[in-house]
Amino acid sequence: MSVPRATAAVSEQWVGGPFGDSRFKYFLIAPALFIMLSIALFPLINLLVVSFQGISIIAENKSFHGILNYQRLAGDSRMWKSLLHTVGLLLVALPIELIFGMAMALLFVDKMRGRQIFVALLVLPMVIAPIVAGATWRLMFDNQFGPINQIIGWFAGRDVTIVWLADSSFVWPAILATEVWHSTPFMFIILLAGLAGVDRSQIESAQIDGASAARIFFKIILPAIRPVLAVAILIRALDLFRIFDIIWALTRGGPGTVTETISTFTFVKAFEQFDTSFAAAVAITVVLILTAVTIYALRRIEIAR
Amino acid sequence: MAHIRISSLHKYYDSVHAVRGIDLDIRDGEFTVLVGPSGCGKSTMLRAIAGLENIDSGTIEIDDEVVNNLAPGDRDVAMVFQNYALYPYMNVFDNIAFGLRARKFPAREITARVQAAAETLDIVELLKRLPRQLSGGQRQRVAIGRAIVRDARLFLFDEPLSNLDAQLREGMRVEIKQLHQRLGKTMIYVTHDQIEAMTLADRIVLLKDGSIEQEGAPLDLFERPVSRFVAGFLGSPSMNFLPAKLVENGTYLGLRFADDVTLALPAAASQRLASRVGQDVTFGVRTEHITPARDGELDDGFVDLLVTIDLTQPTGSRTYASFKLAGVAVQAELRAHDVEQPGEQIKLQIDMNRAIVIDPSTELVI
Ligand SMILES: Nc1ncnc2c1ncn2[C@@H]1O[C@H](COP(=O)(O)OP(=O)(O)OP(=O)(O)O)[C@@H](O)[C@H]1O
Ligand SMILES: [Mg+2]
Repeated sequence: MSVPRATAAVSEQWVGGPFGDSRFKYFLIAPALFIMLSIALFPLINLLVVSFQGISIIAENKSFHGILNYQRLAGDSRMWKSLLHTVGLLLVALPIELIFGMAMALLFVDKMRGRQIFVALLVLPMVIAPIVAGATWRLMFDNQFGPINQIIGWFAGRDVTIVWLADSSFVWPAILATEVWHSTPFMFIILLAGLAGVDRSQIESAQIDGASAARIFFKIILPAIRPVLAVAILIRALDLFRIFDIIWALTRGGPGTVTETISTFTFVKAFEQFDTSFAAAVAITVVLILTAVTIYALRRIEIAR
Repeated sequence: MAHIRISSLHKYYDSVHAVRGIDLDIRDGEFTVLVGPSGCGKSTMLRAIAGLENIDSGTIEIDDEVVNNLAPGDRDVAMVFQNYALYPYMNVFDNIAFGLRARKFPAREITARVQAAAETLDIVELLKRLPRQLSGGQRQRVAIGRAIVRDARLFLFDEPLSNLDAQLREGMRVEIKQLHQRLGKTMIYVTHDQIEAMTLADRIVLLKDGSIEQEGAPLDLFERPVSRFVAGFLGSPSMNFLPAKLVENGTYLGLRFADDVTLALPAAASQRLASRVGQDVTFGVRTEHITPARDGELDDGFVDLLVTIDLTQPTGSRTYASFKLAGVAVQAELRAHDVEQPGEQIKLQIDMNRAIVIDPSTELVI
């Protein structure tokens, strides 16, 4: 090409950044990258290796077992049930948290007296560790001394002794209530931040245009907070898929296996029954599912923008 | 079409008293410009009329109906925002159609009206674009399109041109004026740009610290300001102000400056000010009333003055020249080649008929 030499030299300098030679920067970040990758990747690779071995409580069999564990997993109805429970809880809890969080955020986005205090109080559940939240709610649901039965009793006008956490028709609502109580604040705070960023004059313009509150919400506010909303949903969906602490504290997956989720199931297999390689296979499966969902979701979010 | 009556309007933001008892009547079809320095309450007033801001006391009537408690959407007004407030996820067509859809117009009429508005504003080929694919001037047109498509009875503009560059601003100014002539709607326009105010307004309302300082036709305010504030706010370059003392000067009165130069006042002013002889006053004169003296007799009420020019600012057609009068820098508006170099001496004449005298204790014109 007939590009003058000087021009070419200048543009090369810019492309190379301040170090000129663009390869040099890889040398600089290589050590850090190596350490980070080995910390993040080593357990995962180890997990993958173990999932193809035959380690269990009876034998530390490190020979290659092929996809035996994965075949067992595919035919394990308890695994499938726990997966079903997990997805079921996710599909019920997430919309509830989303709607509550959104309603609260819409309520508190406008300036008002005492707003800061209210917001601080509402966010409080979020700062409590989920295992503590679970333990607290276990006391709340206690069939003899728990305040929940007592309060229902006041309304019913007689003593109520629902065995919340052992009765298979009450245990899921109890878990749902705890989970919603604990996680709605997260939705609330994220959506509040999103709403605060919506251009006020667009809303005002729509008001002057005579748009109803619903139209303003769906046509102006929702599109504006879509990226925030998508990220909040993604984070919460991943959290819910991995739910462990609250269930462990409330029911340990019981009664029987009624409230077993994929995480409690894996834990029981790995650390109570020491079916190590099988548990590793379950864990790898979960990782694959979540990675696929996350990649898909992130693509969608980006394409939408 | 709408006439507006505002009576003793007050608005507080917590402890800030933003609007302090405004009374204002706006006639049907009038183009009113609210103008004033930053923070004087222009936007607040406009937003109160639109219904976007609650008011603390007073009434706002549109067509003899008190609208204090009417929601913005029920007031039948249209507003153009300073930042345009276009809906970023809708294309231009949907932006303009939004208000019509909200009001449940039939689809066929929406298309026809949007098309008509787009033709009026010359943005037909932009209808499919998103706001972020438009230039500032094009966005401005869309924002105006969104306002006119609904055929509201009252149009409100909050500094609609302040985000545009100077050239575009001039063009849009003309278009807004033409739009007003064509539609004949009542319009209220907020700006802090006095040139915009002068050129657009049927009537200017000059605000200061939440109260009306003066209202009237643009030339009224320009030629007969009631206060130093009004005199200084309108006109570019700004009016010259000099401290002086009212003295007897032969038949009539005169203004004596610190260096004992005395300028004679014309007969009318002398009569008006006769009771104030000996008082300290502020003398105000616009640049265009200080011009090169012609040879021969001075006209009635003119005085002449030999000065040394310190600084010249040529603008092409005019040259603004500064000189010192009693130690104070004063600007005169000369023709392009009246003065070639700073340091030149020139004989200037001051049109004392157009000068004003201000009482420095009240800042009011006397
Ligand atoms: N939301 C608000 N909260 C508190 N004070 C406000 C608010 N909006 C305006 N003010 C105050 O009210 C006064 C008038 O504000 P306003 O926005 O009406 O001024 P303005 O004349 O439009 O000024 P500008 O030319 O800068 O737009 C100002 O002192 C401002 O600080
Ligand atoms: Mg303003």
